[in-house]
Amino acid sequence: MKSGKMLAVTCLFLLTLLGVAGAAQQKLGWVGPIYVELSESLKKGFQDYYLRTYGEPIEITFVRPGGWPVCVDRVRIWDGKPDADVFLGAGAPAHSVLASLGLTVPYVHAHWDMIPAEWHGMKAKDPEGYWSAFAPWLVSNMYNELVLRMYNVPPPRTWDDLLNPIYRGHIAMCLTYASGTMYEVVQIQLQTRGWRDGWAYLRYLAAQVGRWTTGSTDTTHNVTRGEYPIGIAQPQMNAMVARRDGYPVGNLVPDVTVLVPEAAALLAGAPNERNAKIFLDWLYSMEGQKYVLQGGYFVARTDISLRQWQAEGVTMASHAIAALGGADNFWAVDLDLLDYDLELATAQWDEVNNTFDREIYRKWEELKSTLSQIEAVELQIADAKAKGADVAAAEAKAAEARTLFEEGELATARTAVTEARALLRR
Amino acid sequence: MGGAGGLLAHPHQHGIRSLIRVDNLLAAFAWVVVAFLIIYPLSFLVIDSFRVAGSDRFGLQNYRAFFSDAYYIGAFVKTFVLSGLVLLTTTVLGLPLAYILARYRLRGQTVFTALTILPIVLPAYAGAFAWVVFFGRFGTLNLLLMQWGIISRPINFISGLHGVVFMQAIHLLPFMVLSLLAAFTSIDPDLEEAAEVEGASGIRRFFTVTLPLCTPSYLAGAILVFLWPFTDWLTPMIFGVIDLLPSIAYINIAYHFTDVGRKYMGIVSVVLSSGVCVAAFLLLKAWVERKRYTGLSKGTTLGGRTIRPNPLVRVVSYLYMLFISALVLLIPIVLGLSGFSRRWVLTPFPQHWTLDNFRTIFTGATRLISNSFLFSGVALGIGVFFGLLMAYLIARTKALGRGGLEFVSTLMLVFPGVAVGVAYLTAFWHGIPLATHWMIMPLALFVRRMPYFQRMAHAAYQQLDPCLEEAAEVSGASKLRTFLTISLPLLLKGIFVGVIMFFIMAFQEISTAIFLYRGGWETLPVGLYLNWHRGMEFGFAAALSFMMVVIVFVMLMIAAKIGGGVLNVAWGSSGRGK
Repeated sequence: MKSGKMLAVTCLFLLTLLGVAGAAQQKLGWVGPIYVELSESLKKGFQDYYLRTYGEPIEITFVRPGGWPVCVDRVRIWDGKPDADVFLGAGAPAHSVLASLGLTVPYVHAHWDMIPAEWHGMKAKDPEGYWSAFAPWLVSNMYNELVLRMYNVPPPRTWDDLLNPIYRGHIAMCLTYASGTMYEVVQIQLQTRGWRDGWAYLRYLAAQVGRWTTGSTDTTHNVTRGEYPIGIAQPQMNAMVARRDGYPVGNLVPDVTVLVPEAAALLAGAPNERNAKIFLDWLYSMEGQKYVLQGGYFVARTDISLRQWQAEGVTMASHAIAALGGADNFWAVDLDLLDYDLELATAQWDEVNNTFDREIYRKWEELKSTLSQIEAVELQIADAKAKGADVAAAEAKAAEARTLFEEGELATARTAVTEARALLRR
Repeated sequence: MGGAGGLLAHPHQHGIRSLIRVDNLLAAFAWVVVAFLIIYPLSFLVIDSFRVAGSDRFGLQNYRAFFSDAYYIGAFVKTFVLSGLVLLTTTVLGLPLAYILARYRLRGQTVFTALTILPIVLPAYAGAFAWVVFFGRFGTLNLLLMQWGIISRPINFISGLHGVVFMQAIHLLPFMVLSLLAAFTSIDPDLEEAAEVEGASGIRRFFTVTLPLCTPSYLAGAILVFLWPFTDWLTPMIFGVIDLLPSIAYINIAYHFTDVGRKYMGIVSVVLSSGVCVAAFLLLKAWVERKRYTGLSKGTTLGGRTIRPNPLVRVVSYLYMLFISALVLLIPIVLGLSGFSRRWVLTPFPQHWTLDNFRTIFTGATRLISNSFLFSGVALGIGVFFGLLMAYLIARTKALGRGGLEFVSTLMLVFPGVAVGVAYLTAFWHGIPLATHWMIMPLALFVRRMPYFQRMAHAAYQQLDPCLEEAAEVSGASKLRTFLTISLPLLLKGIFVGVIMFFIMAFQEISTAIFLYRGGWETLPVGLYLNWHRGMEFGFAAALSFMMVVIVFVMLMIAAKIGGGVLNVAWGSSGRGK
């Protein structure tokens, strides 16, 4: 008898627990790689708006498992029965993969025309209505001005500047497959320099690296803390937010870069489709865009005047103007972008990541030691040359070593170095 | 032991038969739970490791690819090296500390003991965050050394493998110290005195008598220390070390995107890590049990031998204890300072004080706290019920398969959290879609942390005289009534300590939760990780860490109050000389 009562109580307890998550309420789910500051800002803004407009509260959940590749993978695991309604964040490669897999559906939101179709040849929204940018930014690098001053070195301005030996060991860089931004950096090199020279550049850059990170924010932390004063592959707004918070960091928009149209899309099979559409309409409204800016991102509408917002007391507006070099609107920034082949970049994802992993990351120590051996023998050759010795043969061998290094033939490059040294001794 | 044996000798044969039947039924129930929550998902993981990427076929390709890739072999070796270095460091740091605590009569020993044990309840990753702030290139120590003109360029104290060794050694020091403490206090003083009489000097006596007698207990702690680097993926990543098996497993599985081959290399890493852990654990268990047969731990005296040290040894002992305590205390202090400040970078101490981080937690992130309490609480409820059942079956019955139950449950102590997370996600997504319900979170916590509770419940059972239960049953009380009115009240103290330890360990769990959480299920550790990984402001992550440290420390103190001392709480009575 008593056992029966105990069983009943236990069952009741378990049923109560199981029912906790089932309370009826308006809901909305996001999944995506956006930063905490933005998700918190948007959550607050949209919950206020929803209550004001529809007279009832809305519960928002946000799945943020990592960078955009991880987020896309999470949606793929859901396999058409998503645990969220909106894919919030990430650039064109992520959204084209999602659309091609049928995991997102077109939705032309209420302010579709306020987002440009393209900018300097790069898409800012999908012509078929799958996605549109709500917080665009440029792929940048970041530096800690205080620490660079302590090391007595100037900030690097271009991609080639980064190869200067004065920066050796001071650079933090992310694994490509852990960060979409880092993947863009690799693609920038490959598409501007070509396949062979692009990889050669990346080998030189890797030899400069002091630490590999596992996400672009991991890089940001390392730069703001001064552990490594230069961070590669940073979303442009990271430096803006860090400066606002008083960190002595600067943003480096390199000589060649690409646009990341941080975009939102409606997930196929969204369990709260109505609320998702209401959210997307709000996100691109003037009110929604103000919350985007307050969340530490740039804003996407073409009709926004940051100066006007500054006058209205939107606190982040002045930081955005400074970060955009005085421009009144993100799209008014004057620069040349790479003529970026998005389809190629998407198609090469696995190949490029695997090559980077095997040829760059895993050979990091070997790259560093080989390059330093090449540089050492080049110095010896220069010394001997200054003393009037005939160094032509050694010079040719050292040049061969460099070529081999650039092509990833590291063991052969070291043999060439040894031969160059022997020729010099003769 | 003798419970069931005693009952079998009893004249009421009919009652005994029914008792055995009930026990077997309970054991069958326990096996169903173990099969569903442990064997079924983990077998998924093992089977998946044999799946040929991009097909439905199975084979050895993944293992062949793993072992033919110098990178993965290197990572395998590097993890072993890390384990060896961590073990060496904890031994070197822990041996003198345990000896001081066990043998010397010194003031403040209780406080030092409590501080030594503190890292057991501090999550390793929280410690890592704190050490980056203090020992980083532009952390407090380097900045002070530069300010004082001692160095002109920062020293790399922690970024790299040496930092991981340093951090993991401090985190695991309690396991080593507690094992050695148990050993030192359980050695028969006559053996050491005999050596003394024979003319052995203090140092010679220590190395020829004391240390060899400590070996079995030392190894019990050493194995936990040695296996930790095979399970900890986050601490190395914070210090910038990626090429270790658990980190590779996490990154390859979490970040594989379209590259399925990478995912399978991650799964193989997890399975191999688990295999190493289980094999090492079993080998050691067999070895220690064999040694115990020789009677090494026989004839113990509670508290062991104590020595009154000379003044020099006393001063050195105090300095050493202070040094270890400072390293341990640094973690909560730095986290607290970071939590109450903003942008504490490039200055030795915080400049901008704020309550904003905690305000954000209490206004915007209360869900993290409530989820942590809910999931840990539900896991605890299930864990107490099941842990008691298991302890009862193992300590009091001869139910069929009880040895196997103990074996599987103990294995979970050393099974990597990443393995459980991946296994659960694989097994409970399609088919049995348990991973779509939030109950998966407490169930996973239950599976991972139950052995801690079971150990303590088992020990409590062993100290309870079976005659009391037998008397109640002979007088006609049912099995359940005997348990509720006789066993449970007598077991309560031991159980309560187990309850708190279970809760503390569940509260800080991250490796499994990071794979299983969905929107709205984030726990405090998951929130902490996400804020570190996807947030800009370190103060918020530090505030979350600090809060977690405070919560678990308060729980530990409550347990110590009830459980009769911090040592008993941290290690359980079964760990001391038994």
